[in-house]
Amino acid sequence: MASSFDFHNQRSRLQSFLTRFSTDSLVAPDPLTDRTLVAVIFILTFIAALTAGLVLFGSAASARWQALLSSEVTVQIRPQPGRAIETDLNRAADLMKQVQGVTKVRIYSYEETMRMLEPWLGQSTSLGGLSIPRLIAVEIDPDAPPDIPAIGRQLAREIPGTAIDDHRTWTRRLATLGNTLVIASAAGLILIMTATALAIVFATRGAMVGNREIVEVFYFMGADDRYIARVFQRHFFRLGLRGGILGACLALAFLALFRFVVAGSDGLRDMFGFGIIDPLSSVGLAIVIAILAVALFVSMLASVVSRMTVHSTLNRLV
Amino acid sequence: MQVHPNRWGGELVRFENVGLRYGAAPETLTDISFSILPQSFQFLTGASGSGKTTILRLILQSLKATRGMISIFGQDTAQLDKDGLTALRRRMGIVFQDFRLLDHLTIYENVALPFKIRGRMESSYRAEVIELLKWIGLGDLIDAKPPVLSGGEKQRTSIARALVSQPELLLADEPTGNLDPVLAGRLLRLFAELNRSGTAILIATHDISLMDQIKGSRRLVLHNHHLQAEG
Repeated sequence: MASSFDFHNQRSRLQSFLTRFSTDSLVAPDPLTDRTLVAVIFILTFIAALTAGLVLFGSAASARWQALLSSEVTVQIRPQPGRAIETDLNRAADLMKQVQGVTKVRIYSYEETMRMLEPWLGQSTSLGGLSIPRLIAVEIDPDAPPDIPAIGRQLAREIPGTAIDDHRTWTRRLATLGNTLVIASAAGLILIMTATALAIVFATRGAMVGNREIVEVFYFMGADDRYIARVFQRHFFRLGLRGGILGACLALAFLALFRFVVAGSDGLRDMFGFGIIDPLSSVGLAIVIAILAVALFVSMLASVVSRMTVHSTLNRLV
Repeated sequence: MQVHPNRWGGELVRFENVGLRYGAAPETLTDISFSILPQSFQFLTGASGSGKTTILRLILQSLKATRGMISIFGQDTAQLDKDGLTALRRRMGIVFQDFRLLDHLTIYENVALPFKIRGRMESSYRAEVIELLKWIGLGDLIDAKPPVLSGGEKQRTSIARALVSQPELLLADEPTGNLDPVLAGRLLRLFAELNRSGTAILIATHDISLMDQIKGSRRLVLHNHHLQAEG
């Protein structure tokens, strides 16, 4: 089948496109200013990328902790005069096993309970026989959770001194912490982007003043404002992209280091969950994409801000 | 943009009672009236500081007259918008006294700049630019950059850049100021040839011998802020 693709025409269009946009070299390079701007954008991109990553990581960790807390409730039985606490524990455990939505019930032994108290009471053997509240860990199906308050009321009726804790206070606090983290990080991102934009405004104005005679030459040769703006826009997009890529690379390296540290620490791995920082997991991938998106956004910000600055400065300059 | 011939019948430039002052200072140019016809050749002369460059800047509209009327290619400049001004400037070529070359570009790129600004593909003008550079004696310096050139080579590059788009009106500010007499004569012949091919020329200079080389050229003499036409 004959192809309808007009190679010559397409090549001409491509050449025309390249001619139109290959204007980046027309701004005289100023190594000191350019390098300084790249360094500023690099640092700000690194901070912004880390902040974006922190938002995603914090949200995911908060959600993980909330899920863990929501999938378990604790039944607490306080010793009551005239009642055998072991009997009450077994009775409460039996009742919990019969509740729909409960997947696992485990009574903490007296020794396990004492070990939990060791940080406060120490390992004194003289405490043997101390009357202490006992706990039952109850795992529940988070997708079909039972009516915890109703169960609590039933347990309290049948076994005096019984209370049930569904960790609601902690999940609420974690949710508040997560939301606060997201809002604070978003505000931080806005401030960083504003600082980046201001740095680009100053750099663009400086470049325009430094290239004042060149801008005038462009005008006399028939360039319009749009062309001159495009020349500066390309220049600053390239500088922004360079700084953005460097910042993103450092942020990714930082992420890799964090992953390495978490992978080597049982405590951190249990706390955060290894899946969160694995680049192949959904959250890990989202963090990597967010870091790259920040770099691209900074480049585009540099491009747009420089274009606007050129348009607002041209009338005063020439 | 459509350019309509004005009531003076196709004059490229017309100044009528133009005055220019900076702030509250006395006028630096007073009642300047002259016109430039198509295919004409004129020198603008006067002592240093008499306002030759200022008149060129008024034609290029990088300065606005304080009073009077300036018409360029039949357009009243008082009524020009930015796009209209851009269109007019594309019909002119300018040779700066201080060259105004882009130091980070090669000679070829500097001369090709008017084409690049107009969005033309390089393949459509490359041969033309190289031919002009060879003709003007810079064929071996195509890839050189201005900082390594002599004053004369920079001046020739500046002239080539002004000529390359074959403007209807060429403005030159002391174009031979940095050249030896032989090269100055050669460049003047280049201007004359360009003039014969249809380009009107206005050269600002204080070099009397240069003006004597072009027979039949008109002289616009600036003296005491006024302009007097001779020839």
